[in-house]
Amino acid sequence: MSRVTIEVVVNGQPHRAEIPARRLLADFIRDDLFLTGTKRGCETGVCGACSVLLDGEVVKSCLSLAVQAEGHEITTVEGITSGGELHPLQASFAEHGGFQCGYCTPGMLMAAIAILNESPSPTEAEVRAGLSGNLCRCTGYVGIVESIMAAAEKMRGT
Amino acid sequence: MRDFDYLMPETVGEVSGLLARLGDDCRMIAGGTALLLALRQRMVTPTHLVSLARVRGLRGITYDPRDGLRIGALTTHAAVARSPLVRQRYPVLADMASRLANPQVRNQGTLGGNLCYADPTTDPPTCLAALEAMLVLGSARGYRYLPVTDFLVDYYASALEPDEVLTEIRIPAPRFDFGYHARFHRTAAEHRPLINLALLARRDGDVVGEARLVVGATTVVPTRVAAAEAVLAGRRVTAALAREAADIVAEAIDPVSDIRGGSAFRRDMVRVVARRTIERLVEQDSEGRIVA
Ligand SMILES: Cc1cc2nc3c(=O)[nH]c(=O)nc-3n(C[C@H](O)[C@H](O)[C@H](O)COP(=O)(O)OP(=O)(O)OC[C@H]3O[C@@H](n4cnc5c(N)ncnc54)[C@H](O)[C@@H]3O)c2cc1C
Ligand code: FES
Ligand code: FES
Repeated sequence: MSRVTIEVVVNGQPHRAEIPARRLLADFIRDDLFLTGTKRGCETGVCGACSVLLDGEVVKSCLSLAVQAEGHEITTVEGITSGGELHPLQASFAEHGGFQCGYCTPGMLMAAIAILNESPSPTEAEVRAGLSGNLCRCTGYVGIVESIMAAAEKMRGT
Repeated sequence: MRDFDYLMPETVGEVSGLLARLGDDCRMIAGGTALLLALRQRMVTPTHLVSLARVRGLRGITYDPRDGLRIGALTTHAAVARSPLVRQRYPVLADMASRLANPQVRNQGTLGGNLCYADPTTDPPTCLAALEAMLVLGSARGYRYLPVTDFLVDYYASALEPDEVLTEIRIPAPRFDFGYHARFHRTAAEHRPLINLALLARRDGDVVGEARLVVGATTVVPTRVAAAEAVLAGRRVTAALAREAADIVAEAIDPVSDIRGGSAFRRDMVRVVARRTIERLVEQDSEGRIVA
């Protein structure tokens, strides 16, 4: 088996790992690092459940090899809490019915972080466009959009 | 997915040498968004993947008035959309790149990967054909230049030679004051366009000087419709003219027929997309009708 050694920073922590070259980033995160917050859904780039941040930009970890992340920084849903406190987006999802079964939620949160990084006061249309790579089979999206709009307001401190 | 070796060469010459030596057992990987799907479905089973990530000369966006715009093949869709140079000089291209696929794929997928995969149901080929883009293909043998319309030859087939790398996309200095890349989806949940249409024009008030009109996604390769361009040239844009030109577009193309849409449906929708896009040349009311 062809193996490669990669160095990546995941949720602020440096990792060095020897892995098969064909290991998907999603599998590396879940099966090698045991960070199971990141979900595998369609595994064909459609559902967004596997979304993580790569150098701050949202990507689908099922569409990338782990070796492509070599030298880069990854943030998963486990990395967005600080000191045991929920991220404002997480708190807002809980408060505004942003999830039901929760399977899409880690991916939705990563997409939401990217939306708010790009524009701290997004319009509803911008939020919906920013979620266009993420599917939810439970909520009908209204609660998710409301959660993000409310969190944006909180994070702006208005 | 089958096992493979992962190679990280640093020059176009090295990549070309590997491709020449390993042949079909070797595939380049840029963003990986298209290739990984093909690998997982075992549509391709290479023994070697050649990463382009470290190859010099495949990145960056520059502009000068004589040569126009140069975009490195490894540039992601998101970087095209964000680039101040592209937004200022070629707003139609930045706007197209900001709307294709979804945020994740725009951050991962590259313009070069998009073109080399030659998937007809994508956006950049249509827009780049209207902009008369030229592609730079490099190998150990040197460089050659090919218009994007000669590069895309068929369904998932390009003119790339087995030892060649797409290094750069070049677009001549802008000469149009209007540009719009329309995307039509069968359902809102779909990512890939069923139809797209790029329209560029020089206008004098509501009179069209010169127009470029290219239809894609629903034809195997982008199709320029010169007959519609000729009908628009020198005419004042009215609802009647938009209908007349749209009819020509719908009749001129040869739509594919597949599970996402039969050719008759596609032709009808091309007519609608063409009419609506042409109407954008002049001011419209809130219902999309031409004012005055
Ligand atoms: C869910 C989803 C939705 C999408 N929706 C859209 C859409 O709405 N509109 C749209 O336009 N596109 C869409 N796409 C396609 C997207 O544009 C392409 O997948 C992407 O741009 C491919 O680029 P890449 O860098 O990931 O290519 P890769 O997967 O790395 O490579 C693709 C192919 O090109 C070859 N290649 C790559 N770079 C080069 C090079 N420089 N020289 C020679 N060969 C090269 C590779 O060997 C491979 O065969 C979608 C894709 C997905 C997964
Ligand atoms: S698992 Fe990656 S997009 Fe669905
Ligand atoms: S909450 Fe169940 S899929 Fe979104």
